[in-house]
Amino acid sequence: MLEDDSGVTKKRTLPLSSLSVSFRSHEMGEVELSCLAYAKMYLHASQFPRCSVNGLLLSSSPAGGAVCITDCVPLLHTHLSLAPITQLALTQVDAWCSQTHQRIMGYYQANACVSDSSPTPCALKIAEKIFEQCNNAVLLMIDGEKMFPGCRVPPIVMYERKDARWALKDKHTIMLRQWEETCSIVNQLFSSGDQALLVDFDSHLDDITKDWTNQKLNAKIMELVSPANGNV
Amino acid sequence: MINLSEVYKMRDKLRKWREENYRNSEQIVDVGEELINEHASKLGDDVWIIYEQVMIAALDCSRDDLAWSCLQELKRQFPDSHRVKRLAGMRLEALERYEDANKLYDSILQDDPTNTAARKRKISILQAQGKSSEAIRELNEYLEQFVGDQEAWHELSELYINEHDYAKAAFCLEELMMTNPHNHLYCEQYAEVKYTQGGLENLELARKYFAQALKLNNRNMRALFGLYMSASHIAASPKVSAKVKKDNVKYAAWATSQISRAYQMAGRGKKENKCSVKAVEEMLESMQITMS
Repeated sequence: MLEDDSGVTKKRTLPLSSLSVSFRSHEMGEVELSCLAYAKMYLHASQFPRCSVNGLLLSSSPAGGAVCITDCVPLLHTHLSLAPITQLALTQVDAWCSQTHQRIMGYYQANACVSDSSPTPCALKIAEKIFEQCNNAVLLMIDGEKMFPGCRVPPIVMYERKDARWALKDKHTIMLRQWEETCSIVNQLFSSGDQALLVDFDSHLDDITKDWTNQKLNAKIMELVSPANGNV
Repeated sequence: MINLSEVYKMRDKLRKWREENYRNSEQIVDVGEELINEHASKLGDDVWIIYEQVMIAALDCSRDDLAWSCLQELKRQFPDSHRVKRLAGMRLEALERYEDANKLYDSILQDDPTNTAARKRKISILQAQGKSSEAIRELNEYLEQFVGDQEAWHELSELYINEHDYAKAAFCLEELMMTNPHNHLYCEQYAEVKYTQGGLENLELARKYFAQALKLNNRNMRALFGLYMSASHIAASPKVSAKVKKDNVKYAAWATSQISRAYQMAGRGKKENKCSVKAVEEMLESMQITMS
């Protein structure tokens, strides 16, 4: 890093949504994003506001049914475009997924430069790799400019594979159940200080006693998710 | 009432963070704000450098109120200072008033063309605006003049890595390794770049530099995994001689045992990282199969 902070980027802060997203019945191409996955991605981007961060999107629902991103694994906040650690992380997450009956079905990234949320070559490359194994893979870019209090829309842009390229997914096919509740859960995590529990793969390599599967944080989030609402 | 020794403890914390260049801005604001608001008189001459440190941290946390008041104190004490002018520029940057910030830095450079801080801020502005190729070009020009600036070399290597220009990133890291032969992080980053470039020659180089990083710091997990992966790939390559294959199988096996040991020690008594431990074991097993 330069002697001074190299580029002061916008600080990512919390959204306080007052609008809930309306739902459609299950159709072709619909992707559901769970509270757990959303919360951890958000926390990951917030933990490293000056870095580009990325991670993998997981699904525990069977292939061929409705597509649901049930969880995510935060991966890196440094050197996203270098191969060794990315390969290592993919292999380890793969191994963990087969142990836990999940599959890798997508990739997310938040760019350090907040004003540009388009997929980088690195993002496309990794998403492509995932697509080789999973034909309804999605690529999710976090839009840093929408991560502020009072923002009424989810700060995400999703891409899917269409005609040999990654095309923007229709916003109406992206489902976030209980959007208000999800936002409130994220806020609670910040006010309780639990957002600091998030461990990404990079942090795990700095200290291997830290758990990149985030069992502890997952439990806290699931506690906050109201049981009456079922599968969030 | 807080006592003097506690004030000194806080002051020393700030000094440590300053000297080790930590960017823990929320903590700095926490500690620093209290210090300057309540105990400025007890800090002696240290107060000025603390104002500077807290101001920069405040900018990082979007605390313009705090940054502004620190800046006023510094302006009052050092009215014609370029160093303070630079801080004013950084505040403008935080407010995304890049043109105004650039004007300020240009005026510093008119007065003093050798002012490296102002030049680096201008490059940072280019980065913040997403103008990577221009930032790279300016940084290269800067390094032609200030060839010993380690931070600049490292910043350039990061820029090249982001642009996928691995050959040039490797060149920067080579400079850094030459001048910092005991820094295990530079060795390990260099190895990662070589690994990414791919091909047998680069993999062998990668393995050597991962090994070198481990020699310098045997707890560098990235280097350990890197050694394991590069050795495994070389051993699995159909182009290598039997001897090279045998050697690399040995290196990979050594790395495997070190990794397993490290994870066993880490997993002791902590049931929460059982999952990561299991994942590593599985991964090592699966890679063994592809190697033979």
